[in-house]
Amino acid sequence: MERIDDVLALAMLNGLDGKREARLAAIAVSRADLAAAQFCDAVRMFYGGSGRGLPIGLADGRPSATEPMLNVALAQKSAIKSINDTADPATLIRNALMAQYDRNTTVVLSGPATDLVKLLYIFGAQDWIVRKVRLLCVTEPGLDADTAAARKLFAEWPTSIVVVPRDVGEALAFPGECIDKDFSWSSSHPVVAAYRAYGTMPYNAPSWAMAAILCGVQARDNYMRLSDAGTVGVAADGRLTFATSDNGKHRRVLLDPDQKEGIIRTYIELASAKPVERKPRHPA
Amino acid sequence: MTRKALPRRTFLRGMGTAVALPFLDAMAPAVAAVRRASPPVRMAFVYVPNGIIMDGWNPDYEGTLGELPRILKPMEPFRQDITLLGNLTHNTGRALLDGAGDHGRCCASYLTGVQPRKTVTDIRAGVSFDQIVASEVGKQTRFPSLELGMEDARQAGDCDSGYSCAYTNNLAWKSETEPLPPILDPRALFERLFGNGRVLTPEARARESLYRRSILDFVRDDTKRLESGLGPSDRRKLDEYLSSIREIERQIEKAERDNAQIDPHMEKPYGTPADFAEHFKLMTDMMTVAFQSDLTRVITFLVTHEGTSRPYREIDIPDGHHPLTHHRNQPELIEKVTQINSYHVRQFAEWINRLKSIREGDASLLDNCMIVYGAGLSDGNRHLHEDLPTLIAGRAGGRFKPGRRIVYRKETPMCNLFLTMMDRMGVHVEHFGDSTGRLDALDLG
Repeated sequence: MERIDDVLALAMLNGLDGKREARLAAIAVSRADLAAAQFCDAVRMFYGGSGRGLPIGLADGRPSATEPMLNVALAQKSAIKSINDTADPATLIRNALMAQYDRNTTVVLSGPATDLVKLLYIFGAQDWIVRKVRLLCVTEPGLDADTAAARKLFAEWPTSIVVVPRDVGEALAFPGECIDKDFSWSSSHPVVAAYRAYGTMPYNAPSWAMAAILCGVQARDNYMRLSDAGTVGVAADGRLTFATSDNGKHRRVLLDPDQKEGIIRTYIELASAKPVERKPRHPA
Repeated sequence: MTRKALPRRTFLRGMGTAVALPFLDAMAPAVAAVRRASPPVRMAFVYVPNGIIMDGWNPDYEGTLGELPRILKPMEPFRQDITLLGNLTHNTGRALLDGAGDHGRCCASYLTGVQPRKTVTDIRAGVSFDQIVASEVGKQTRFPSLELGMEDARQAGDCDSGYSCAYTNNLAWKSETEPLPPILDPRALFERLFGNGRVLTPEARARESLYRRSILDFVRDDTKRLESGLGPSDRRKLDEYLSSIREIERQIEKAERDNAQIDPHMEKPYGTPADFAEHFKLMTDMMTVAFQSDLTRVITFLVTHEGTSRPYREIDIPDGHHPLTHHRNQPELIEKVTQINSYHVRQFAEWINRLKSIREGDASLLDNCMIVYGAGLSDGNRHLHEDLPTLIAGRAGGRFKPGRRIVYRKETPMCNLFLTMMDRMGVHVEHFGDSTGRLDALDLG
């Protein structure tokens, strides 16, 4: 959770959940930053999550410095007080997959591939991935933090993969001016607080993670143009290469100027959606 | 100077009876005292159903154990001997698209680590990890494992929302389709442990009762012969051990007399005390003897079956256990469940005390054990399968460092604990159930 589009993506996911177009099954943070996990938890609770359901995943390792935009988490409600209130990401995702309908899950990766590769090596997890995952959507920025893991991911992940290249996310920028307009229904929106803390307002934000989500939502799968099938490679500097091939499992998102306006309208619509009250399935 | 050692597998024999012996100093030669073979590590699971009131179970701290919460209060005298584990999870106990049936799933998955098939007929779970251990270490004992219980061992029928009673009434599974039903009848267990393998019908038993003598009478000559060659310490140990067997016999005989007075025709396991605490003590006394004499090193004890609606009139609670646990946060119902949970732990604490009092070389029998007390649900009201209440008593033969509460990360598989325990039993497997590795922080540094 280093970029503001990751934060906007969280809002977008909750918007989709509220419209019943997708259900957020699990969230994992790929940086060892407790504040990032707390922020995700705070967003979940803002949108009406009760703290029940699967916990937030948090990468292991030496604690990373907290991004200033996530310091807003300190002012928000979160049930996470220590690393033991979070889960190992690979275990969390494996457990979440086991509860999904077959071929009904999209996995979105925005950041290093380290934890998804760990998932591949959990005994039995590959079978669950094949059975439960329809698509893996990956943003190009962030993969360079662990190029070895990125290579393994593209070589060994067993399902189709869609990649959002750098230039596409940069071209589909989220308009900062809508923060004041479309989010004004809340005076304590954590995503708004983070957006304001990230940069000098007003600024537009590249949208790699948001584009990746749109690729993965079946109800919206006509939004993004995709390339022909091929195979993604990872250069030494983390940049991705792509070679078309008939039996390839990978595709890239292509920028269609005719779709740009509609896509950005969708970003705004979903990210600024109000929380939808949910009745609990079973009384406590 | 050397002295001929008493073989470890010495039995007192007579009249079709074989009484195994506990670990005695005479089983190791004097010159080998320094390199004395260590007593084996034993493993047991004591499973309680319907979850636990977790506010009364989880301390609000980690690290060295201090004051314990209400339900665990009886364990305070033994806090140096126990380890509390937090955040262990059985994902395979959750619905995972199979709908209702948490009780059937949680019990069937508890030692197998797999989600059972939702069915009343063609049951399928997995091999439980105690049986993996038993298949190895059981080659060295008379019984590879023992499966015990105190309530209803029906194997057929629908016991939970389309899950077979085989799932709620068994902990151990020999294969994917073959559960190992627990022995409920103390007399049957006693005969199995000390008899010649016969299990008598009630009619045959009634005929024999006319001539009933203690099994110790049958082995009297062998006992005298053995005692003459033992040192004072071993004679005392042997006397205590045989006294405990005689006491077990008396408890069973008393229960049989009591049952006959209540209703000689009632269908009740012959020799089962009516009182829960007495029954629990009788079963755990025999578990103690079984461990002490190395008759087995693997025991599972399904205290009452998962989903039970047993009342606890012993503590003035006439309501069914299961309905109470769906308390919907009503304080008076939470209080009753807390009392039941505490009552269970009190019985367990008394057993731990007995294990701690038995010496094996330089340590206690408890030190050479891993006794897990736990449940397949944490919050019984919400049917949660995470942060499962898990207490380990014992030091695994000196490998564990107890006296602590260790909280792992959320979603840490319970099967990771089982892999770790298998290692301590000398059985190494790469993975089990939904394991992702082994638990760290349990061992001595």
